Amino acid sequence: MAITAPFSYPESIKEKFIATPGLKFKDGSTVSSAEIWEFMTKEAPRRFPYAFDAGANNMGRFSDDVNFLSGIKRGYLTLTLKDRIMKEHAAGTPTVLVQGGQAMDAYYAAGGLPVRPGLVMQWARNMEEGLSLRQSETLGLNILESGRRKISIDACNQIAAHAAIDNKVVPIDLIAPFLCLRCSDMSFLVETHRNREHDIPRYLVDYPVDHENKPWAAEYIATELRELISKIAALSGRIITDEVIFDEIKLENRGRRIATEIADLWWGAENPPTNSTDFFGIAFLANDFVGDPVAAVDLLEQSKLEIEERVRNNVKGFGVPDNAKRLYICGSCVGPNAHHAQTAGAIFVGRDDSWSCISVPVEEEGDPYLNIAKSMLAYPYEQRTEKRAEWTAEQVKRSRADGVIFMYQWGCNYQSGVARMISDIVKEKAGVVTTFVEVGELGRSEATEQSTNRVEAFIEMV
Amino acid sequence: MGLKTLDKITAALENRPAELEQLRKQGKKVVGWLAYNIPEEIIYALGLIPIRIGQGGDGRLVEVGARHISTKNCVFVRQVLGQFAEKTDPYIKQLDLVAIDATCIQLYRLEELINFYFDYNTIVLGVPRNFATTEGHEYFRKEVEFFTKKLELFAGANLEQSRLEEAIKIYDNIREAIKTLYRYQGLDNAPLSWRQVSSVINAGYNLDRLTYLELLQELIQEIEKNLSEVTGVREIEARIFLSGSLIPPGDTKLIDIIEQLGGRIVGDDLWSGFNFFLNLKITEPTPYGVADAYLDRVPHGSLPYLDLASDGRLANLKHQIKEFNADGVVYHTLRYCDAFTFKAGETKDVLGNVPFLEIHTEYSGSDIEAIRTRVEAFIEMIKSKKEIAELV
Repeated sequence: MAITAPFSYPESIKEKFIATPGLKFKDGSTVSSAEIWEFMTKEAPRRFPYAFDAGANNMGRFSDDVNFLSGIKRGYLTLTLKDRIMKEHAAGTPTVLVQGGQAMDAYYAAGGLPVRPGLVMQWARNMEEGLSLRQSETLGLNILESGRRKISIDACNQIAAHAAIDNKVVPIDLIAPFLCLRCSDMSFLVETHRNREHDIPRYLVDYPVDHENKPWAAEYIATELRELISKIAALSGRIITDEVIFDEIKLENRGRRIATEIADLWWGAENPPTNSTDFFGIAFLANDFVGDPVAAVDLLEQSKLEIEERVRNNVKGFGVPDNAKRLYICGSCVGPNAHHAQTAGAIFVGRDDSWSCISVPVEEEGDPYLNIAKSMLAYPYEQRTEKRAEWTAEQVKRSRADGVIFMYQWGCNYQSGVARMISDIVKEKAGVVTTFVEVGELGRSEATEQSTNRVEAFIEMV
Repeated sequence: MGLKTLDKITAALENRPAELEQLRKQGKKVVGWLAYNIPEEIIYALGLIPIRIGQGGDGRLVEVGARHISTKNCVFVRQVLGQFAEKTDPYIKQLDLVAIDATCIQLYRLEELINFYFDYNTIVLGVPRNFATTEGHEYFRKEVEFFTKKLELFAGANLEQSRLEEAIKIYDNIREAIKTLYRYQGLDNAPLSWRQVSSVINAGYNLDRLTYLELLQELIQEIEKNLSEVTGVREIEARIFLSGSLIPPGDTKLIDIIEQLGGRIVGDDLWSGFNFFLNLKITEPTPYGVADAYLDRVPHGSLPYLDLASDGRLANLKHQIKEFNADGVVYHTLRYCDAFTFKAGETKDVLGNVPFLEIHTEYSGSDIEAIRTRVEAFIEMIKSKKEIAELV
């Protein structure tokens, strides 16, 4: 691995940064921008040096666009996740393993702290501080391989999250994901916990296939959501009323709306106002909420203002190549390296996975359980493949993409199963070139040449 | 002992494609189905011809199928896709409708691909992951009802209760007959082998169900007439129980190896094998009654169950191992069949002292010698253990 100077934020932007609003959190606390600056320039580089590795292979590398100040706050939310979870957990908030790309409303409303497998892994790696990128990756791989040794080499990287729970690297109080068509491994990996030493309670919220025009599918999910919420509430001690759930729905809907507006602004701009890292990082906040929907929505609002200003002034995000080829990314859990793609002359303009649940707000009146269920069933990503592909083709057109890369990771049976079909349909419906790539290097920055070569060759072809 | 009825079954199977062709000319429709929870009784009761589709063991067809899916999907799915791509299989080319249940979600994906790339009329039956709950049952009842309505439209006929009752009776009798055959193949003086019973089961999926039932009853009569007592010194044998991923027709790699090395397969809990016929009792002849019965039988490994102690699939496995007096379990897993692969270690733990060998494989021949070495050592170990036990 090449040794490069660590990434750092220049002092020249400090004054401008600390003049911006801080962040509000769900416990009512606030953090000033001066405190964020202090954390991101002093404390975080010391505690999490891997995150500041400036190597191009570092998939989690911060954005080079230091003048996009919301991007710095986005990094703050990422790097404070561990502290925030541990603090809340110590105060009695139950931590819940969930599925990625799904509505979090029910979990937060019930007083839980939902963490998807990717965040569990990040949290697990951050439990040991002061690590370089290589050390941090080695730690992550050790956890992952311990899981594969116990279960199977066929498991996708998600097994690392389950191993981190098994090995008690991180404290999880409930394992209760939604199932869906995105993931083949989740249900079976949840099942493996029944044969472990720990006795963490488990629950699965089933997600019926082929559910269009079948009201009983939503009723089935709604009944399960009641069970899920009662299980979390029993741990959190929160009294759940419809009003409590609707408050959470309204907050998260607000996040979804702002993220959608940001996407529309971004897509409509003459020049991409941010680079790929910032665009994806910000929009993703309405998908995941990084442990705190209040903070995530606050940052989404600030980001939108910043992007609006850039679009007004026709500012191109730092790092965006001239005449960049616009690529739309499909598939779960993995994506191409944004830095490599930018070097090769491309920018990412959208992602079907993240965009899917952001695009479907939850109704704010009526039966909140049924409303969340209906919303989940409306996610474009979880429709029959043909319908999903048609929605993707529309996204490709709206984002003015020049090409589509469908990526799936080693061990993923469900996304891999439809990669070709989606690529074929999108090619036909949107009239752009498509490719699909399998990657096995999720979670590490070495031996990435195969996928990098394929992505770069595709960009050249585009 | 040569069983003449087995020859009759083989002959009936050989004639079946031509027979189907004739029936289709007369206006009959053929429904190819796949997976574990398709209620075949309803298809039959509507006057449609049910045929269970899907073969394994052919690496070439796997490659053909892989052009439309990925190498991260199990070989069975890839091969079935290959069969649809080529359309040379005598049954695949005669299908008017393909019905797949979503017990295994990879098979659901298969349905989408068959529909999209090969222009087959398809229908999906949703299956709840939370199959043991009241809400899971309620969901599945509605799914079976919806499935029935779609089939009624396809058949151009309504489901009559008397026809369903008749169908249920035929299928009950078939299941009972298969159970009887399994009991006989497990005897010390077995009149037929597990492999032969497996062939009989697979043949039945293609034959007319009433004809098949008659053949099964004839076979059982023939066996019972010729049953003999065990005489002389019994040879020490390794009685092997097969568990894990499905072993569809055509996939004989592991079976061949076990038998070539002197092992004797005496039972299985495969969803392509014996499990399919167990604990299915329809007490109410309606789509709801059928739904409940299917969901309450031995669960399929693709449906997650979160409590180890009350897992019906594992309880059945333990019971069958004892029932068939098996000496060891060969746990067969297909690559990327996560449902069964992820359970291998756990199954070994649950079975405790029962000798256990996991074979993780595909349909290619590249691992034959590696498998042979492992199976040989396993069989030798079992036999040695039994020899020592006899000496003591």
